[in-house]
Amino acid sequence: MKKLLVILLAALMLVSVVACGTGTNEPAEPGDKATQAPAAEQGKVFNIYAWNEEFKGFFEKYYKVPEGVTVNWIINPSDNGVYQQKLDEALLNQANAPTDEKIDMFLAEADYIGKYVDSDYTMDISTIGYKNAPTMYEYTIKAASDTKGVCKGVSFQCCPAAVIYRKSIAKDVLGTDVPEEVQAAIDSWEKFDAVAAQAKEKGYYMTASFAETFRAFSNNCTKPWVDENNNIQFDDQITAWIDQTDNFIKNGYTLTAGVWDQEKTNQMFADGKTMCFFGPAWYYNFSMTNAMDPEAGCAGDWCIVKGPQAYFWGGTWLLAAAGSDNAEMLKDIFETFTVNTEVLEKMVKDDNQYVNNTDVVKKFAEDPEYGNTAILDGQNDIAVFYELAKDIKWENHTNYDQILNEGLQNKLQEYYNGSVDKDTAMKNFYAYVKEQYANLVVPEN
Amino acid sequence: MKDQLKPGKLKSVSYAKWGYIFIIPFFVVYIGFTLIPQFLTLYNSLFENYRVGLNQIGPNYVGLENYKALFTAQSDGTILILKYTANTMIMWLMGAVPQFVIALLLAVFFTSARLNIKGQGFFKTVIYMPNLIMAAAFSMLIFTLFSKVGPIQLFLEQQGIIDHSFDFFAYRISVRSMVAFMNFLMWFGNTTIVLMAGIMGIDQSIFESATIDGANAWKVFFRITLPLLMPIFVYCLITAMIGGIQMFDVPQVLTKGNGLPNETTRTLVMYLNGYLGGKNYGMAGAISVIIFIMTGVLGGVVYKMLSAQYKEKTSAPKYHRKLQRGKEA
Repeated sequence: MKKLLVILLAALMLVSVVACGTGTNEPAEPGDKATQAPAAEQGKVFNIYAWNEEFKGFFEKYYKVPEGVTVNWIINPSDNGVYQQKLDEALLNQANAPTDEKIDMFLAEADYIGKYVDSDYTMDISTIGYKNAPTMYEYTIKAASDTKGVCKGVSFQCCPAAVIYRKSIAKDVLGTDVPEEVQAAIDSWEKFDAVAAQAKEKGYYMTASFAETFRAFSNNCTKPWVDENNNIQFDDQITAWIDQTDNFIKNGYTLTAGVWDQEKTNQMFADGKTMCFFGPAWYYNFSMTNAMDPEAGCAGDWCIVKGPQAYFWGGTWLLAAAGSDNAEMLKDIFETFTVNTEVLEKMVKDDNQYVNNTDVVKKFAEDPEYGNTAILDGQNDIAVFYELAKDIKWENHTNYDQILNEGLQNKLQEYYNGSVDKDTAMKNFYAYVKEQYANLVVPEN
Repeated sequence: MKDQLKPGKLKSVSYAKWGYIFIIPFFVVYIGFTLIPQFLTLYNSLFENYRVGLNQIGPNYVGLENYKALFTAQSDGTILILKYTANTMIMWLMGAVPQFVIALLLAVFFTSARLNIKGQGFFKTVIYMPNLIMAAAFSMLIFTLFSKVGPIQLFLEQQGIIDHSFDFFAYRISVRSMVAFMNFLMWFGNTTIVLMAGIMGIDQSIFESATIDGANAWKVFFRITLPLLMPIFVYCLITAMIGGIQMFDVPQVLTKGNGLPNETTRTLVMYLNGYLGGKNYGMAGAISVIIFIMTGVLGGVVYKMLSAQYKEKTSAPKYHRKLQRGKEA
């Protein structure tokens, strides 16, 4: 009898646990609730998802948070897609989350913005009363618009990228450090490779990472990474990058460090031996702090030129999350970072940003008084970027780009540091892709 | 009738039910958080179920397709899951062999009445210390030490022993050794303390009589300590093995999830974790089930093997008889 009672009790517990289990396992419906028009009542908590502190810095410096509102930053690193995973979890749960825990705004990068823009988890920003300013770069609007042309967010920066070179090293290698002459010496990949050989003879590296030139190639692809049948395809530009890198590594023109590795950033110190770095305006503050170090750095020893091939790199878009109860604040933030010329001019002058407002950047580009002295030798970098930004087009992007770009670099790094042969590296790359995206078709592996 | 029954009933009052009541919480927690998830994992492994971006694919019932995919060889004949199993076992053994040898040695030293080591409390604390560090923090430390811009690389470069192109993370043996070394350092203290408790549980009089009978330290160790310690030793070994099969944080952080070089330090759970990145519950479930089966089988084999030996060796009386016979003769 007692045994029976115990078994009965245990069974009851089991049933209740199972019941709870199935109850909470219901997948969150992307949803109806989330896409409802924002209520007039404004929320007291503003949640922002981001993958680093870059925008947080500008936000805290230039945006005055309305009284009574708390801003929460939820920051996850983007390595191996962690940021996207965390963000996806939160978005899928958006409809069920309490009002104060709903995401109001999140940041997205060029490599995967499409995934969020083409979903119901982002909000048409015209519904919160924001109008896209004519001063914004066309490609930044296109990137934030879904396939029907509905715009879901804005970018606070425009990211034409350039070659940032060490003047003293250029002088030693090329006999000149004048931007026009340096540009003439490296205006094609053939010439760039030839200069790399010259630099090597003098004991310098041309670049400090095997993947340094990756973006210059990959952003000029003529076909997307993945075709309409989910097949992975290698564009000629990617193949060209691999060929160039093979050559660079073989001849010791570059290092086997990754683009973000410390071994590379150490090369930015005054005692570094590297001539060229590739990056847009955000790269100075965010990645070249070693060069600006007051003691070990070499600020003022740098200039920028277009380099072999125009390209853009990255960019941070601010997307409005569906279900936000802070419509007014969203609109306010968007306006602060796209049309508030006072703020934007400060961002150019004090933070060396290339902002997403053609009026502001044009003013600086044409200002003979303006020059960047924080890192460059007083060169007007805005003028260079202004020319480069005219040609940026938004095309051939897929939602898989981050994993594919980073995965390829990570797996090839092992080939370049000598631990595997090229075939094995590619095999490992395909296996990695298959793990991350089961729907993609990889070459016979 | 009633009067007759009452005393009888009183006699049969039993407190056994309290025993059952007290163990209910454990069973509830176990069933809710271990047993049911285990069956759900098995169930999930039979479905195609993953996410592409924000779109859910499946769940569609596919039978054993996920298992088939796991055991399908690549064009060069490698079956990834077997390769990762081998990685895991090799790295575990590289750490576990020294871990058990050193732990046994220390346990015997610390418990030896003859040596009577002073300051035991201090040493016990010190050898346990590494276990208190977070594995991830420890891996970061080792990574920083051996990275291309780390102090060890720079020192060796300055001494002219290696040139700058040398990379500790490009060699299978060096990365695996780092992982094994960390696991060893983190766990040998724990094993020492458990084994010491085991040795102290053995009746001192047996040691004494063996010594009086003229057994030397080797004989005492192999004929008395080890056989009588076997139950605890097997317990330690099996729990260490289960931990080893689930090895994850150390190699994951050390190689930034890349299993450098050439996936030779990717463990089973790192493989599983890769699938969880794409929310691929089907494949991740299948790997989990395989790990579960593997753990069960290996645990069983080790238990059978060692406890059989233990039964043979605990014939301590036989040993005594032998000694006695020797004396009589």
